[in-house]
Amino acid sequence: MFRQTPARSLVLIVTLAGLAAYASAGGFFAREIVIEIAILAILAISLDVVAGFGGMVSLAHGAMMGLSAYTYAIFSVKLGWPPLPSALLGVAASGIFGTLIGWITGRTTGIFFIMATLAFGQMAYTVFFKWRWLGGDDGLGGLSRFDLGGLGIKMGNSLTFALFALVLVLAVYVAAAWVLRTAFGRTLTGIHVNEDRMRALGVNTVMHRAQALGFSALLAGVAGVLAAQHVQYISPELLVWTVSGEVLIVVILGGLGTLIGPLLGAVIFVLLKHEISGYTNHWHIVIGLLLIATVLAGGRGIYGQVEHWFSRRPPPPAGTAEAHDA
Amino acid sequence: MDASFWILQFLNAVQFSMLLFLLSIGLTVIFGLLHFINLAHGALYMLGAYIGISAAAATGSFWAALILAPLAVMLIGAVLYFTLIDRLRGAGPMNQVLVTFGLIFVFLDLVRMGWGDVALGLSAPPSLAGTSEILGVKYPAYRLFIIALGLVIMAGLWITLARTQIGAMIRASVENGAMAATLGINVGRLFFIVFCLGCVLAGLAGVVAAPVTSATTGMGISILIPTLIVVVIGGLGSLQGAIAGSLIVGFIETFGAVLLPGFAAVLAYILLAAILVLRPQGLLPARGH
Repeated sequence: MFRQTPARSLVLIVTLAGLAAYASAGGFFAREIVIEIAILAILAISLDVVAGFGGMVSLAHGAMMGLSAYTYAIFSVKLGWPPLPSALLGVAASGIFGTLIGWITGRTTGIFFIMATLAFGQMAYTVFFKWRWLGGDDGLGGLSRFDLGGLGIKMGNSLTFALFALVLVLAVYVAAAWVLRTAFGRTLTGIHVNEDRMRALGVNTVMHRAQALGFSALLAGVAGVLAAQHVQYISPELLVWTVSGEVLIVVILGGLGTLIGPLLGAVIFVLLKHEISGYTNHWHIVIGLLLIATVLAGGRGIYGQVEHWFSRRPPPPAGTAEAHDA
Repeated sequence: MDASFWILQFLNAVQFSMLLFLLSIGLTVIFGLLHFINLAHGALYMLGAYIGISAAAATGSFWAALILAPLAVMLIGAVLYFTLIDRLRGAGPMNQVLVTFGLIFVFLDLVRMGWGDVALGLSAPPSLAGTSEILGVKYPAYRLFIIALGLVIMAGLWITLARTQIGAMIRASVENGAMAATLGINVGRLFFIVFCLGCVLAGLAGVVAAPVTSATTGMGISILIPTLIVVVIGGLGSLQGAIAGSLIVGFIETFGAVLLPGFAAVLAYILLAAILVLRPQGLLPARGH
């Protein structure tokens, strides 16, 4: 079950404030890094909602993000709609895609669920890879950012866009935390812990899982619109399954089932990537070894481990005990 | 498109199916025995190709490479077994997926450090360099060799599983591990043997594929997905399932590439999704699954 502890709130505020300060003080490159962190963090929080609390480890989150980005491009570039309704449609498309995947795969669990999400994600990837109208494997450019000129906000400015991205991270975190604390979120954890018992209590577990994946996909859709507006260019590479695998690594490194851990994971992942790339181009081996070490150390991730050290109570169920049979 | 074109495609499909079979049989029996998911299996295939290329360069003989590379991959597999795999046996699928996913990254960079980031070729042995006449078409002799090798290994594994004592022990352990252990079968040691054999076959597939596809650092990841599809479609833990799954995926990918260019991959994924939803145990599952 999810608890928004004071420590988690503190870490959230300090991290976001730190990133905002880094973006303000640093140059263009620092702002690019902050935006990259924000996109990855939103996607990781989205994945943690289903993987950490529902036991549904999805390899389709990259595809959800990409579908949202492409839908945004279809309406804003191809059909000439304004950015805001296009963005909402992008997020909605991702949500519908997620709900459908959840509904079709409702009875599969464990490795079979992973394989099924992989299949649906790769189907979406192949469709956009081959669709010449949307540029195929060349991708599609000419996307625009939100026009907030009426409010005196210039989104073309890299600092403004970085701060906007951080606001979205906060909004996504608050939305995820709020949903996880409602009866809906508690039921999701209940299904993860003991599906038979929840079914005996009258819960339609297949529909509930589908709705949870749909909600998670909505959040992934936010990351998609942000990614599309950031570089103002999209390509099928957004959807490929290794993107989802990378996000899963971020969630595990940060702390599965902690919600704040994935944000920290995204910060560390992106900073490490750029730091290590400065010395060597073999940064995959570092991430691979980190991942193996994290799992062998108990699989709690960075935030989960710290929480584990400081808590006098037995470890919270969402992050630890369940993670092993997820 | 005359008959010879279709015969060529048919032979290509069979040849690709054989490679998929060599990779998937180890993966599926390992899963059947202890429900262990080894995503690094594709990385072992890649290592087989690169080690094979170096071995061929060092010894000057393709045939030496064909023996040495699988053995080297088996050694790597044994080291992996004692350092990681053995500890993860009871750790649940999630941790196994994550650790072996991490191993993919580690092996990827180790190969890039050792051999660089360029595609490396391996030439087929001189005795197999030409073409042969089969079913009225000219076909590369080396590809026929792959088909023959696959069939021989398939037959060998079939006889081993169906007719020998160790085969009976493996089948019993796949069907009901706890009962097999109670009857005095050392399931852990059996698992180690099967794991090593799976590594040998993955390494062998790597060397054998190198003259056809040439070795790249992406080959391990790109073969992993079709192999997993074969395993799931066929049914976890079963030899017949691996054979059927390899042929289905091999033919879908080869003929799909000819008839529906670009959408061959989608066909395989649609089949995978359909099987997962309608028949999650796979087409020909091992008993007990």
